[in-house]
Amino acid sequence: MKQIESVNGHDLREMFATATDWLEKSASDIDALNVFPVPDGDTGTNMLLTMRSSIEEAYRVNESSASTVIQAMAKGALMGARGNSGVILSQIWRGLAKGLQDKETFTGSDLADALKQASTMAYKGISNPVEGTILTVIKDISSASQKKVADNSDDVIAVMEAAVEAANESVANTPTLLPVLKDAGVVDAGGQGLYTIMEGALRYLRGEAEMMQFRKPQIIASNIPQPIRLPQMVAADEVPYGYCTEFLLKGEELSPDKITIRLQKKGQSLIVVGDETTVRVHIHTLDPGNIVRYATSLGTMHQISIRNMDEQYQDFLEMQKERTPEVDIATIAVVAGDGLAEVFTSLGTTAIVPGGQTMNPSTKDILQAVKAAASDKVIILPNNKNVILTAEQVQSLTDKRIEVVPTKTIPQGVSALLSFDYEADFETNAQIMREAQSTVRTIEITHAVRSAQLNGLKIKKKQVIGLLDGDLLAAGEDTFAVLNKMLAKMDLNKSEIITVYYGMDTSPTEAEQVSTSIRDKYPQLQVEVVRGGQPHYNYIVSIE
Amino acid sequence: MVVKIVTDSLSDITSDVADVLGVTVVPLTVFFGHESFLDRVTITAEQFYDRLINGNVWPTTTQPPPSTFADVYNKLAEETDEILVVTLSSKLSGTYNSAIGAKDLMQKKCRVEVIDSETVAMGLGLIIVAASRVAQSGAKLDELTAFVRRAMNRSHFIVYFDTLEYLAKGGRIGKAKELMGAMLSVKQILTVKDGEMSPLTRKRSLAAGLDYLYSFVANYSSIEELAVEHTTTPNEADKLVDRLGSVFPKERIYRSIVSPVLGTYGGPGALALTVLEAE
Repeated sequence: MKQIESVNGHDLREMFATATDWLEKSASDIDALNVFPVPDGDTGTNMLLTMRSSIEEAYRVNESSASTVIQAMAKGALMGARGNSGVILSQIWRGLAKGLQDKETFTGSDLADALKQASTMAYKGISNPVEGTILTVIKDISSASQKKVADNSDDVIAVMEAAVEAANESVANTPTLLPVLKDAGVVDAGGQGLYTIMEGALRYLRGEAEMMQFRKPQIIASNIPQPIRLPQMVAADEVPYGYCTEFLLKGEELSPDKITIRLQKKGQSLIVVGDETTVRVHIHTLDPGNIVRYATSLGTMHQISIRNMDEQYQDFLEMQKERTPEVDIATIAVVAGDGLAEVFTSLGTTAIVPGGQTMNPSTKDILQAVKAAASDKVIILPNNKNVILTAEQVQSLTDKRIEVVPTKTIPQGVSALLSFDYEADFETNAQIMREAQSTVRTIEITHAVRSAQLNGLKIKKKQVIGLLDGDLLAAGEDTFAVLNKMLAKMDLNKSEIITVYYGMDTSPTEAEQVSTSIRDKYPQLQVEVVRGGQPHYNYIVSIE
Repeated sequence: MVVKIVTDSLSDITSDVADVLGVTVVPLTVFFGHESFLDRVTITAEQFYDRLINGNVWPTTTQPPPSTFADVYNKLAEETDEILVVTLSSKLSGTYNSAIGAKDLMQKKCRVEVIDSETVAMGLGLIIVAASRVAQSGAKLDELTAFVRRAMNRSHFIVYFDTLEYLAKGGRIGKAKELMGAMLSVKQILTVKDGEMSPLTRKRSLAAGLDYLYSFVANYSSIEELAVEHTTTPNEADKLVDRLGSVFPKERIYRSIVSPVLGTYGGPGALALTVLEAE
């Protein structure tokens, strides 16, 4: 195994120059990941531009001292920082520069110390640090490299390997920490960018620069299995994003802390970093004029950039659309429960709109999914009788052609989706799907929300009730018993398949017991148990 | 001189049928790890499926090298001056390219025409069956080439996959890739479209799948040839043949086993049907 005892300024510059080229290869992929804090799709590009400015400065000093080179890089990064992630990146560089001060060369343990400084500095620049972002990734990199050094390793490559490995895990874990990432089924873009830079640097140290020309960095997959893209979740609330305002402020006796306090309430995603003579400001604000007026009172403004983020967001949506392969006919299903969402996605649904019983989606929610679909012919599966009408409103709000197949239950939706004929045209498919929903019967087991007397049954509040195709047929104290009662009411001789989707409040063990009991009673049937994860309903059972 | 017809082993034409038709079948190579076999020559279809299901090595197939085709061309050139080669879809295998490349390796003087059938299995097989009859009746190469191109439009192939597990394991085939990873057990019915495997519809049970296969055939008013194939369930295929007896003479239905390339993805329980519509 290759080992490196120490790195000088020349190698430091080359390793990050190589890392920048490496980042360039996946900048557009990283752009596509971008959903936090604003889904404007420019994180990769911003980080790349920041790195380029940093490397240019490093070439300008042309010295062999690691300390001098990293100071130059930090200065270059600050001068050229773009976007949220770019500014945080410049803080990381600044921390590294602080950690490597006066070092002609650095060792593995020097690097670990510097990474710790980098992590501290990154957090310091942000008024409201959010976990599940590039911040978490640099923090994890820092602790992993400390740990490696504590294990008695002073080899630079070994420390970098530990750092890159930690970065990989940390990026994969970001959706667990940040719900917006989980909903979008992506990892954090800034974290991915930092991982790519670290990985590129490590590859240079390992002597793989040549080979890197023919490869591309990998985008890390989320560690939440089979993420489902929910484009409409990204734009759930229609708060305008305002203007992304960035500039470099030059003056004398500037105080980043004071500027932070002053601007804190003027907008979101505020970052103020720098020193007494140069400060970089990044803020998302509804009123950039206010910010500019304040800044000019302190010094001179440079590299001013004010961008309309709502426009950027629209561009981002367009970009996402281009990345989604165009389908001839799109299908959109209204589904509650992650398991059921996976079932629909695995059967080819183009988009899932979250919703169902007691959480009906709005026409706007469905419309957004229709707009985002990469097809102008869209079939909607409401999967709930209270959603059908809402879905039918969508046609009047869009130029796209809409067919609502009025599925009232999840099994009807699955049946309709399964019958989709790839060769048939739009109207024929809608017709086939309408017919298919009648080939399945649905049993739902849930709890009564209030006491009532219905269909000759006296029901107490919170009692277990069973519905067949929406009609109340049985009540009791025990879900298992009610389900059995319901099955007993049906003629299962002509049926072939029973699919049991168990809900979020039902244990897999109980679901297995239920299926075993059905198998024992009806040996000719094929019984499948699937985790639906749906709220309210303990069981949704499909009988075909 | 009668035009000689050459095809590949993915046409699913069995050796006895090939003998009767006077057709030469060039085998593809099947690999299980480092072990290689000539399709249907040194490994039977039954042996192939046995190893696919029970073995732990994932099989791969490769096209015949151009030299194998060249040997065949040279040998046939001793008896004829015109050869027609019809291969499986060039989107599923490089066999078509090998067959074309082989023309440059020929030593004997003989006209060779190579056609990409854009289909596979008996979808190709029934085209060969029809073409060989036309060749026997004395058609020359140009006429025969035109006949095959027309027959390609008359050949309709569909295949029922009992499980998507093998499709998922084997990676992707054409547009069918979107079917991977279904959460429910789903039976998939595919066809060949523009030379690629393409999904048609899905069913939840074998019975529903068989109904679909049956009505697929019953919808054609005029059928010239019909073929039924299986991977591991000859009994299900036989039952389907019995049922199809009501729309087409049972004894004229070709029976075969689905060849490895498709079988690797189709896995056990797959059934294939080809209708050659009358002209």
